[in-house]
Amino acid sequence: MLKGVRIVDLSMGWAGPLSTRNLADLGATVIKVESCTNFDWWRSWEATQEWIDDDGAEKALPFLYVNRNKLDITLDLESNEGRELLLKLVASTDAVVENFSGSVLPKLRLDYPELKKANPELIMLSMPAFGATGPWKDFRAYGSTVEQSSGLPHLVGHADQSPTMQHIAYGDSIGGLNGTAALLIALWHKRQTGEGQFIDLSQVECLFPLSAPGILSQSAAKETPPRSGHDQKIDCPHGVFPVQGDDRWIFIHIKTDQEWQIFSSLVDELSDLNDLTLVERQRMSDKLFASIADWSCQQDGQVLMKMLQQNGIAAATLNNSDDLIENEHFQSRGYLQWLERAYVGNQPHPSPPWRNGTETIKIKEPAPTLGQHNAEILKDWLGLNEAELTGLKKRGIIGNKPRL
Amino acid sequence: MNSAAHSALESMRVIDLSGTVATEYAAKLFCDYGADVVNIEPEEGFQTRLLPPFIQGTSTSALHAYLNANKKSVSGPIEKNYLERFLRKSDLILYSLDDHKAMEAISATSANQCCISWYGASGAYSGYKGSDGCIQAMSGLMRGIGAPGEAPIIPPGYQAQIIGGLSAFNGSMAFLLGQLMGNLDEHFKLDCSILEANMCLTDLGPINRLNGNEIPPRMGINRFPPTYPLGVWPCKNGWLGVTALSPSQWKSFCQLLDLDEFIDIDFFDVSINRYMSIDVLEPAILKSLEEKDAEELFYRGQEMRIPLARVPTMEELLEIDQYKTRGAFTPIKSDSKAFLAPSSPFRLLKTPAVDHRVLAELGEHNGYLDKL
Repeated sequence: MLKGVRIVDLSMGWAGPLSTRNLADLGATVIKVESCTNFDWWRSWEATQEWIDDDGAEKALPFLYVNRNKLDITLDLESNEGRELLLKLVASTDAVVENFSGSVLPKLRLDYPELKKANPELIMLSMPAFGATGPWKDFRAYGSTVEQSSGLPHLVGHADQSPTMQHIAYGDSIGGLNGTAALLIALWHKRQTGEGQFIDLSQVECLFPLSAPGILSQSAAKETPPRSGHDQKIDCPHGVFPVQGDDRWIFIHIKTDQEWQIFSSLVDELSDLNDLTLVERQRMSDKLFASIADWSCQQDGQVLMKMLQQNGIAAATLNNSDDLIENEHFQSRGYLQWLERAYVGNQPHPSPPWRNGTETIKIKEPAPTLGQHNAEILKDWLGLNEAELTGLKKRGIIGNKPRL
Repeated sequence: MNSAAHSALESMRVIDLSGTVATEYAAKLFCDYGADVVNIEPEEGFQTRLLPPFIQGTSTSALHAYLNANKKSVSGPIEKNYLERFLRKSDLILYSLDDHKAMEAISATSANQCCISWYGASGAYSGYKGSDGCIQAMSGLMRGIGAPGEAPIIPPGYQAQIIGGLSAFNGSMAFLLGQLMGNLDEHFKLDCSILEANMCLTDLGPINRLNGNEIPPRMGINRFPPTYPLGVWPCKNGWLGVTALSPSQWKSFCQLLDLDEFIDIDFFDVSINRYMSIDVLEPAILKSLEEKDAEELFYRGQEMRIPLARVPTMEELLEIDQYKTRGAFTPIKSDSKAFLAPSSPFRLLKTPAVDHRVLAELGEHNGYLDKL
């Protein structure tokens, strides 16, 4: 779909590489640029010589699944030669993506004004945690820091507990999806006008739409939103209930009085309460929740989910990773695709989340190895000869193995 | 819009037939960058008009206003052939699989379509009922949140649908771009599953499992093995967000908290070792934090290159200089009242998002289809 779009990806970790993976999955050519000494930290943030000798850089699962369908070259950007080669590459590209903290690229003389000299029509997506401006623009952050800084934890969990994080790196995935969106808008504009531009994306601000009910409660309703646990103040019952087995649960969401009447007729203890209105259900929610839990804990989760769904009730078991692998729906949708990859063998990849018609988008290539496409890109695209390539290797500007 | 600026998507027309949080968020992204977005609403309006929070002293949903500012609203009975003619003149039609009227309207229409559904338009659960909680349960996100032995915690709001809408925007934009580039010469019909969009948060679980790795059970609030310290902790004044991944970040964190006794212990250089030693480390960390100011620790920690965070309440969030100076929250006007809402989280400097946001009244643009 995006054949003909070319992206140079300087980003590392999860957010930036996910933003470009989405484009690569859709057919764009994405060239990942690392160096042997400054390799993607998603390969490891605790690299040791033992890890290098064991080819650890090629075995990091998080790296493998977020960098599929890409090409990879190494360039020491701290050297003049490496920098010049990057500028040559940028000259023939649509967009550059980076997620360094603010001071890194200016130090390397590779910030947007410098890159634009090499390619006046360049799009550059910069996606640091706090954005490219403001007093915190150079502050360091991971996906977890992003979630913490967004205030979202103050909306999650129970009032008597700590503000609650939802994920080890919530900000990364959401930042990545937003990065894809921003690039696509800029690419559309470029195809229409020939004009590139700088995109300033703040990963923290990417989480604000997810906190919108809380933010709007404060700004529009003038009420401080509580951490209200399972009571989301709209529908009732809306909660998580135990089912048979150790740490097994089902989520049930009754949205209308009609659904309540159906649901209550299925639970012996609730059968006399099927005329309750929403307000009445909310008022006696503790009692209702206890009755539902007593009933649900005697049932198999999958069987109960199917029975409730057949009765038109929104219900879902709380899946773990094994459930996701075995789940009939995921299997019927072709959730996982398998690709052979050097050092790690056959590896699963989640399918892209869109399909045109009924067919899943096929994943073409596994993640590249470090510097796998050095020769192809430096020779075929940038016109270097074999001797020049050998020289770059000898001087450590390119390579295929990390160095500490 | 920014008066001097050009809007990137101003040549596009996008129709929302269903008005779910997911379709509206996807359409909002088009609208923010200049597309002409038209809501075709039933007489009573889209269901999002009923969702809290409401603008103080009114019955207007602030959430609906946030999702629909600057869109056109057409409502009431529309004759089928008339609607079809209009749909054919559009670049993209967004609708929900649960919306039978929309399904009927688009069935004979030749136009680009994006169907957003909870579980996808095919597969074993395609007919299942959904909600944000169902998606968070089924995707595996929910079971990791909360204390062991207690019911997992439900993420609040409409996060799953926002993620689904964002992902559907990406798919739709990519296919529209493919058409523009000559890579696709026919209309597309995208099937966007909110569940599959949300799997980007949890995909690593099954991948790890299929590689023989154990998946840790729910370990507790703000517990994310193998990383430690990572979480939200109380200080003398406010809450501090901590992530210390690398050995140097850990040592600096110890220095910041005056926990010198841990700095030179090589064993603690490795994150999983720190996680396994929570019983030793956490009491010391908590004791040190309770005597210190969160804001001061945040700034000193960032100076030391430790990724620390202020964890603001919603009230504090709206007053933070970093976000105010960037215009992270801008006003929306509705019912002659204005309130702050999140701005576009990315800024395209030459084609910025529209920054003047007004909510149309239901049916305000009823004559609009005649003009096209």
